[in-house]
Amino acid sequence: MKPNFLFPHWTRYLGWVLVFAHIPVMLLGKYYGLAGDHSNDSQLFNGPHIIFIGTALLMAVGLFLVAFSRERIEDEQIAQLRLDSLRWAVFVNFIVLVLCLVFSNDEHHILLMNLWVPLLFFIIRFQWKLFQNNRLLKKDGQL
Amino acid sequence: MKNTIRIERAIKDITQADLASLINVSRQTINTIESNRYVPSTILALKIARVFGKPVEEIFTLEEGD
Repeated sequence: MKPNFLFPHWTRYLGWVLVFAHIPVMLLGKYYGLAGDHSNDSQLFNGPHIIFIGTALLMAVGLFLVAFSRERIEDEQIAQLRLDSLRWAVFVNFIVLVLCLVFSNDEHHILLMNLWVPLLFFIIRFQWKLFQNNRLLKKDGQL
Repeated sequence: MKNTIRIERAIKDITQADLASLINVSRQTINTIESNRYVPSTILALKIARVFGKPVEEIFTLEEGD
C-alpha cells in the first residue's frame, strides 16, 4: 500500500521546538510592548503585526509539523487512528466555532482559535490513542 | 470479526513482535488485531494468512452482526 504524504519523523521534534519557542518570543514581545492589539491599525507589517505574524506562524507551523509527522512505524492501523482523530478534531472545532459565534462577537480571536484548536485536539487525541495502545501492549506482554 | 492469530502464533511459536516484523507493521497493530480492536485490511489479512500458510477464512471468521 502506498503511504500517504507525511513529514519525516524528526520534524516532530522540530515542531515541538517551534511551539515552545513561540512562548518566550510572545512574552518578550509583550514585555517590550511590541505585541498588542493591532487589529485597528491600517498599516500592515508594523512592529506589533510582525511580532504577531512571527509568533502565530511559529505556533501554527510547529503544531502542523507535530500533527503530520510520520510515526516510527507508519502502518494502516496508525493511518486509521489518524483519520479517526482528524474526524474528532473537525467535530470539536466545529462545535467550538459554533459556540463562539453564538456567545462571542470577537471575530479576531475566533479566527485565531480556529487556527490551533483542530490541530491541538488532533494531536492530543492521536497521542492519547497511541499511548493507550502502548499501555495495552505492555499489559498483554506481561501475561 | 474473530481471529485465531493468537492460537496460530502459539502453534508456530512466534511472538507478536516476530509476526509484526514479518509483515512490516508495528507490534501495536498485531496486538489490536488480536484483541479485536482493529479490523485489518484485506492486504494485511492475506499477509498474515501467508505467514501461517493457511487460507484467510481459517484465521479470520465473521461474527454474528458483522
